[in-house]
Amino acid sequence: MQTTPATPDTDLQADNLRRAAIDKSVKGPVLFLFTNGAFWLMLSTVLGVLAAIKLVEPGFLGDCQFISYGRLQPAHINALVYGWGVQAALGIMLWIMARRSGQELKGGKSLLISAGVFWNITVTLGILSIIFGKSTSIEWLEMPKFVWPVLLLAFLCYAWPIARMFGRAFRPEGFMVSTWYILGACFWFPWIFITANVALHCLPNLGAIGAGIDAWYIHAVILLFFVPVGVGAAYYFIPKITGQPIASAQLASAGFWTLAVLGGWTGMQKYMGGPLPAWMTSVGACAGVLLLIPVGLVGLNHHLTTLGKHSAVATSPTLRFIFFGALFYPVSGLILALNSAFWTGASFQFTQSWYSFQVVSLYGFFSMCAFGAIYYIVPRLSGCEWLSVRLIRNHFWFSVYGVGTIVIMSLVAGWQQGNDLNNPEHWDQSFMNHVINSRPYVVSRAVAWALISFSNIMFLLHLLLMVAGLGRRSSAPTLLEHHDDHALPNEAHA
Amino acid sequence: MSAPAHPDSTDLDRLHSAVKREKEDLAPENQPAPLWAIFLLMLVAIIAGGQLGPIMNGAGVSFESSNLFVSSGGGDPRPGGAGGGAALDPFALAMKKGASGYSVCGGCHQGNGGGIPGQFPPLAGSEFVLGGTERLVRIVQHGLTGPVTVKGQAFNTPGGMQPFGAAMSSQDLANVLTYIRNSWGNEATMITKEMVQKVRDEEKRTSQWTTADLEPFAKKDIPGDIPAGPGATAAAAK
Repeated sequence: MQTTPATPDTDLQADNLRRAAIDKSVKGPVLFLFTNGAFWLMLSTVLGVLAAIKLVEPGFLGDCQFISYGRLQPAHINALVYGWGVQAALGIMLWIMARRSGQELKGGKSLLISAGVFWNITVTLGILSIIFGKSTSIEWLEMPKFVWPVLLLAFLCYAWPIARMFGRAFRPEGFMVSTWYILGACFWFPWIFITANVALHCLPNLGAIGAGIDAWYIHAVILLFFVPVGVGAAYYFIPKITGQPIASAQLASAGFWTLAVLGGWTGMQKYMGGPLPAWMTSVGACAGVLLLIPVGLVGLNHHLTTLGKHSAVATSPTLRFIFFGALFYPVSGLILALNSAFWTGASFQFTQSWYSFQVVSLYGFFSMCAFGAIYYIVPRLSGCEWLSVRLIRNHFWFSVYGVGTIVIMSLVAGWQQGNDLNNPEHWDQSFMNHVINSRPYVVSRAVAWALISFSNIMFLLHLLLMVAGLGRRSSAPTLLEHHDDHALPNEAHA
Repeated sequence: MSAPAHPDSTDLDRLHSAVKREKEDLAPENQPAPLWAIFLLMLVAIIAGGQLGPIMNGAGVSFESSNLFVSSGGGDPRPGGAGGGAALDPFALAMKKGASGYSVCGGCHQGNGGGIPGQFPPLAGSEFVLGGTERLVRIVQHGLTGPVTVKGQAFNTPGGMQPFGAAMSSQDLANVLTYIRNSWGNEATMITKEMVQKVRDEEKRTSQWTTADLEPFAKKDIPGDIPAGPGATAAAAK
């Protein structure tokens, strides 16, 4: 069962006990974040279905103002970002950092739970405000003004112990690969969040630049918060499960620093040709394309690491989710580059392809990695194993097909919309014609979100049973496939 | 979230089985990166650098404003578009759309409207293009066959010119005709959708015209309103 037979038995025992103690120390906050996050995720996907239906059939469910598209869509995205995304990310960050640093969470557990409670109450109030028409109309920051200081404080309550664990850890060579990203995310999110909120809520008379700052905020949160957490989780779990070390420390280092340098420069290219100084949009476009470099470096590293180890993808739920999440990372980089480069950006500008980027990076990449991490972490915290292979398998396939459909359809829809709008042949067409032309794509989006909602209802149910301690009582992990391949013991896969 | 309540919770071996079966954390290796990947990333960097030039107006970097998407006229050229003062007038719109519709005609009459000597008559300076609109619309609508003399040169292409009426809407046809009447040095009145429709309603023939058939229409213009603007004044200027 042990993969390090050379180590004396007593050391192993001590190692196991220490790991178990670390797990126990972060159990409360991490499970709290995962469970609440899963609730928000399910809500967000249901709102996503409704919003897509409303875009095609505005009369659906009656002509009620609370469920108009203009309120459902921001509620859907905010629930996805702040309800699910940030909470899941914090849970994963806390657990991985505790494990990597070998530090138990000492004290402050009740503070973390309280911060989590405040986070959830605030997001609830914020999303209710959107539904009741008090949206700020600033994309991804639609929740009213009072929300951001609370969210910031709650985030800092988590970021502080994570950073302190890092500070106290013994850091051997190779310690940094996944820890870099986690530590970076701890510092970058507050910086991005404060900058955008202060600029947009506290500075008067911003004018057109406000839109630019907002576009920068969206890209920075994705690239400097969700992407690092996803990549950090992938770098942690891939070697952990395959038993194969990360192929290249140099590539990992280069990938991290290029992302750190470039991630904050992009976003304003959304308004290329618009009323912003040209250098802002061109720097954004340049960085948007240059980001293919960190994306490529990470992708290459994962490829070199997993080469020949793909059989574990079929078996281990964690590795399967992480592997597909890691596959979506280059895809999200390509979509960002397509949206950014001016040759293609002129067609993709202000179309559904921007939604495609948000969904592929938030759900296709980040959430898939987060699911993988959750499938690994939760059995260690709850003391029981996942109940049902079928639930996990359905969660996986419905998610993959759903997110793939949304991404491809939104991209194609964006290309068609953008070219139609730019084509002189259509200049005397009314805008409504373009909206009607894009309906089939939106229908497919509704269907895809419905598939994803279905998968997330199963995921939430499964997670709740685990958290309640009602999982399988066994010492064998829940694997997706059992085969007689003894070269890699199955137990090692979860 | 306290200790699990189920009866076998004291079974430490089972409770710790998940951490016991774990593999230890591994230090990363130092495998070399393949050379092609490095070249590929250099290519990405070159493409990315290319973003800076055109948007910022090439080497003449301006920090005030300059970008490639705004036409020299300024503003959005679409009807009702923002900025740039006057929206596109009907004549300019017809010229824009006609230019793209002309790709059908350009195969024979050539992009510069010069035709090919001995095979396809020119449109630039052609008396058929600049003369009566009745004749011009009929030629494109129903086609033309037999010998024809344009600008003193005789043409007799086998098969003549195909009819295009069935394949094009009257709006598209009007746009293309307006375009050929006002390009390559040509200047003549605009042809509107209503004018083309009028001829279509009056003339239902299925065979191509001959020059002789068309003689009665040579000097006739189709009656109809022309929107004010350059399309209406072109004739007066001539």
